[in-house]
Amino acid sequence: MPGKVPSGAAALAGKSSVDHQTKDGRSFWGALAGSRLYQAFSDALLSSPRRQFILLLAFPLLWIITQHLGPMAQMFYVSFLDAYPVAADHPQHFTTDNYLRFFGSSIFLMPFIRTLVFAATLTFATLILTYPVAYFLARHVKRSNQMIFLLLLLIPFWVGEIVRTYAIMILLGNNGAVNLALKWLGLVDRPVPFMYTGFSISVGIVYLTALYMLLPLYSALEKLPRSYTDAAADLGAGPWTRFWRVTLPLSLEGISSGCTLVFLISTGFYATPVLLGGPSTTVFAETIAGFFHAAGDEWPTGAAFACLMFVTALAISLGFGRFMTWLSKGVRK
Amino acid sequence: MTRNTRIVMSILYWAFVLYIFVPLALMVMMGFKDSKFIGFPIRSWTLDWYMSVFENTEVMSAFGYSMLIGFSSTLVSLIVGVWIAVLLNGRGFIGKGVIFGLTLLPALIPGIISAISFRIYAQLWGIPPGTGAIIWCHAVHNVPFVVLIVSARLSTLPTSYLDAARDLGADPLIAFARVTLPYLRPALIGGGVFCMLISFDDFVRSFFLGGYQPTLPVLIFAKLRSGMSPEINAIATVVLAMTAILGIWAERSMRRLQKG
Repeated sequence: MPGKVPSGAAALAGKSSVDHQTKDGRSFWGALAGSRLYQAFSDALLSSPRRQFILLLAFPLLWIITQHLGPMAQMFYVSFLDAYPVAADHPQHFTTDNYLRFFGSSIFLMPFIRTLVFAATLTFATLILTYPVAYFLARHVKRSNQMIFLLLLLIPFWVGEIVRTYAIMILLGNNGAVNLALKWLGLVDRPVPFMYTGFSISVGIVYLTALYMLLPLYSALEKLPRSYTDAAADLGAGPWTRFWRVTLPLSLEGISSGCTLVFLISTGFYATPVLLGGPSTTVFAETIAGFFHAAGDEWPTGAAFACLMFVTALAISLGFGRFMTWLSKGVRK
Repeated sequence: MTRNTRIVMSILYWAFVLYIFVPLALMVMMGFKDSKFIGFPIRSWTLDWYMSVFENTEVMSAFGYSMLIGFSSTLVSLIVGVWIAVLLNGRGFIGKGVIFGLTLLPALIPGIISAISFRIYAQLWGIPPGTGAIIWCHAVHNVPFVVLIVSARLSTLPTSYLDAARDLGADPLIAFARVTLPYLRPALIGGGVFCMLISFDDFVRSFFLGGYQPTLPVLIFAKLRSGMSPEINAIATVVLAMTAILGIWAERSMRRLQKG
């Protein structure tokens, strides 16, 4: 790569040697830089570092405001309207009814709490499940093999929500692989109804989010110098002490970002609870979606509920993040 | 580390690999079952379900539609993502941290909330549900991933390369096109395929922003709601194979380029 630059850079000098440039293979850039249109453009926008910076900044700023913040802002705005989309002859009214509707009925409150409890429990379960895996990858596998071991787990992870949910349906169904194995082992006579319960949703969601936990944990543990645990061992610390006093405290950052990610993502699954759950396991995503399948005037309620969900989930994960930072600061002292 | 913990750890790792792979392997197997009913044991095997997938025009058109959406949204995400990454890796300015945080926002918003907020937003701009709306939403959702992947590569670009280009008379735009962009190639391939895969496999956004034509995941969902069948297994296996091939190819080409 470094060898290529000087020869390529020679042709960069479009402005000074346009005539010469047109003769060799790199004429396009010389011609472009020499063209009048480009000169005018360059004079207008690139003539000073300040203008260059404004050109560089303007589009990302516009994109982030309109595309990243815009949808959330509009959703928040709509959540206070009495009807949306607004009919032509209908004046707009602001109202907080959409939010009050949530607190008025346990039909909405139950799925909301269920979602948060599910998400928190599953985040913890995922952490327990993936920590040893991440530890093994980062500390026990040879560095040259780590990528292959990691890739082995990454490939299935790229397959989307629907396909993997379906795979879980086949695994846990009444005629599924687990029930077949249990029957074959003589543990049960009739199939265990795993499907359409909280259990099947849990298996599905952990299956979908495990890698979001594994990757931050792996990168935190991989950065941790081996000499730290070796030093602790030299000072007489046994394996458990080394883990509790050295490894775990120093991987708190990975735990924190992994948990935040998994928590936020698990609150947003829609297809998985629909396909794997039953009437007694309705999650809030299904409640929200219900308002969008109905006629248009239910949208503001859906928007209000989505805002409530997002703000609560965000507050919980931010609070958790702050707590973990506090914890790891205590460790470093 | 003692030998015992090492053995326990490796057992846990392989158990995890099994947990990840077994459901997908069972799904692939079930597509070969010579019966309409999903369930074990499989007594006789057939290739019919897989064969019929390629003759099924509904599936093939959904497949093409998903590819179209994937390609278009990836193109948009790459352009925007590279632009933002270049801004964030350049000189410092007030509010850079805020911009970085907001750049990552679409990746952190839970799926259902992202989908319905775009449904409302599309209404504001008068964009009807359909192809345009899906491409738009996928593009926005994928920008953070491009920014992260491109930034990682950009941070290793020696400043001397750009200085050399500038000394030879290139203005920043030409220096970008002739030095930075070729240098970013592995990140562009990797990020592009990553976006492609996310878009291709996305359900919730396509479901809420889609019109009458279903993308492949939406089609599978619709079929699933009317009952399981080995036909769905065959379709899902095609998706799985596509994803695996693309993913491995991207990973390999990214690593080869990064070495060179």
